[in-house]
Amino acid sequence: MRIHYDWRLARVVDSDGEVFDELGWSPKRSVRALADRLSDLQSGRMSPEARTLSKRFPDAEVNGMAAMSDPGWPELEAEEQEMLSEAAAILAKRGVADAAADLDRRLDMLSSAAIELRSSWTTSEARCIEWAGLFLAEADLDGQRQEIPAAVAEAESIDAAAAALDVAIPAHQPEQVEWVALNGHAVGVVALAERLGVAEAATRELARQYVPTLSMLVGPLGAARLVVLAGGRERLARMPSGSLQVLGTRGAMAAHRRGAPSPKHSPVLFSLPQVSRSPRWVRGKISRYMAGKCSIAVRVDHFDGEPWGEEKIAEINQECVNIRERFPKPPRR
Amino acid sequence: MARKPVKLAWGVRREGRSLWTRNAVRGVSVRGERRKTDSRIEWRSWDPTRSKVAAALLRTNGDPSRLLPETGSTCLYLGASFGSTVSHIHDQVCGSQNHHGGQVVAVEIAPRAMRDLSELSCHRPGLVPVLGDARQPQTVAPYIRSQADWMHQDLSIADQAKTFVRMASVFLRPGGTGLLSLKAASERSSDGDDDSRFAKAAKILRESDLEVAERINLKGLEEQHVVFLVRKTVQSGQ
Repeated sequence: MRIHYDWRLARVVDSDGEVFDELGWSPKRSVRALADRLSDLQSGRMSPEARTLSKRFPDAEVNGMAAMSDPGWPELEAEEQEMLSEAAAILAKRGVADAAADLDRRLDMLSSAAIELRSSWTTSEARCIEWAGLFLAEADLDGQRQEIPAAVAEAESIDAAAAALDVAIPAHQPEQVEWVALNGHAVGVVALAERLGVAEAATRELARQYVPTLSMLVGPLGAARLVVLAGGRERLARMPSGSLQVLGTRGAMAAHRRGAPSPKHSPVLFSLPQVSRSPRWVRGKISRYMAGKCSIAVRVDHFDGEPWGEEKIAEINQECVNIRERFPKPPRR
Repeated sequence: MARKPVKLAWGVRREGRSLWTRNAVRGVSVRGERRKTDSRIEWRSWDPTRSKVAAALLRTNGDPSRLLPETGSTCLYLGASFGSTVSHIHDQVCGSQNHHGGQVVAVEIAPRAMRDLSELSCHRPGLVPVLGDARQPQTVAPYIRSQADWMHQDLSIADQAKTFVRMASVFLRPGGTGLLSLKAASERSSDGDDDSRFAKAAKILRESDLEVAERINLKGLEEQHVVFLVRKTVQSGQ
C-alpha cells in the first residue's frame, strides 16, 4: 500500500494501481491558500490530506514523488493550471522579498560595501595627498598626511590651504578651474572617509551579533569577510579548517591546481598580526593553528554554543607566541 | 545576401550561424537581443554565446531538432538563472499567450535571478518560476503537472551528473529528452584535466537508466563546457 499525493489530492493505492481511499482539497480553493500549501510541500511536509490518510493507513508508505509517475493520476484541469501559475508567481515574489531576512545576505552587502569603500578611499586619498603635495612643496606628506585632505577641502584657495597647514605659499598657483577640481576631490576624500567609517562601524556591530566568538578571535571585520567569502555562516561552519585557511586565495588556489605549492593562508588570516608579524617560516604553522580555532569558533556561533571569553582568546594568542618561540630560526634548506 | 532559413522546430529556425525563435511577446526583447519581422511573424535572436542550449544546437553533429522540446510539452529547466534561455524555450513550447498549452518549470535558487525570472513569467503564461534548490526533487514536484518530456540542467555545482541522474529518474518521462550542461570548473576534484572530468560524468550517465545519444563540445562558444544529450530508456521507470 502506498500513499501518493500532490497539492490537489491524496490517494491510497495498492501495487496494482487500485485506489482504496482518496481525499481531495476542499472545493473552496484560493490562490493564496495554494501558495501556502505549495510552500509546505516544497519544504518536504505532507499535505493535510496525505497526513489524514497516513493516520487511516499507518502501514502505507508515503511517497510525495510518486504522483509523478502514477499512470492513473488525474491531469491538471485548465483552471487548476491557471491557479498553480498564479500561486507560483506569488511564491516567487515572496521568496525574493524574504531574501532580506537573511542575515548572510545583509552582512554580504554591508561588508562588501565597506571593503569597496576602503579600496576607493585608499586610491583617492593617495591621489589627494600627491596632488596637494605637488603645490605645497614644504608640506610634510607623512607627518601631515591626516590633515591635508581636510585642509584642502575646507580652504578657499591653495594659499588658504597652505596657511591652514602652516607651510609656505606655493611658488606656482594652480589655475582657478584646476583648484576647483582639487578642492572638490579633497571634499570627496573627506566624505568618503566618513562613509567608510559608518559602513565599517555597522559591519562590526552586525558581525559582533552574528558571529560573536569568531569576531573576538579575528576581529569583527575579518569575521564578516570570512562569512561572506564562504557564502554564509552555515557554509563557513560546515567548512573544514583546511578550506577556511585558504578562503579568498582564488588566484593562488588556481595556480595550485596547475602545480604551484599550496597557499599558506588567506588574506583574512594574513591580516592578523599573529600571522603577518611573525617570521616567514612560522606563518604557515600559525595560520594552520588559527584556521583550526576559527572553524571551531564559527561552529560555536552557528550551532548556538557558549561564546568564548577573553581568557580563552588570550590562551589562543599565547599559543601563537609559543609556536613562534619554538621555531626561532628558519629551517635549513 | 540573405541566407535561407532552416526550420528546426515550430518556433526555432537557423539562418547561417544565427538562431531565432518566434517571439511569444511581440515587441519585447528579454536581454536586449535583436528582433526582426518576417511575413508578420516576429523572430527573436538566440545568442549561442550566452545560451548553452543554443550553442549545442549549432555544435551538434546530428539533427539539431532532436535537442528541442516539442510545442505544448512539459519542460523542466534546472538552474534557470535570469531566464534568457528559458524565454527561448518558452517561445517554442508555449508560444504567445500559451496557445500551445505547454508548461515550462524554471527552478532557480538565487533570489536576485528569481526577481527577473518572475517578472518574465508575468508576461509569459505557461512559464512557472520556482525559487528553491534544484537538487531536491521536493522543490520541483508540487509545480510540475506531469513527468517532463524535456529537461535541461545547468547548475554550477559539484556532482552535476549525479544530480542530473537523480532528478531525471523522478521527473523525466520514459522516452523523454534530457540535456545536461556540464561545466568542468564546477567539479570539485583537482586531479585530471577537463576531459577526464567529462569522461567521469559520461560514465555516471551510462550507469543509470539514461542513454547518452551525443556528447556535444561547445568549444568556441562556451569554453570548458560540454552538453550531454540523453534519452531515458523506455522499459525503465517505476
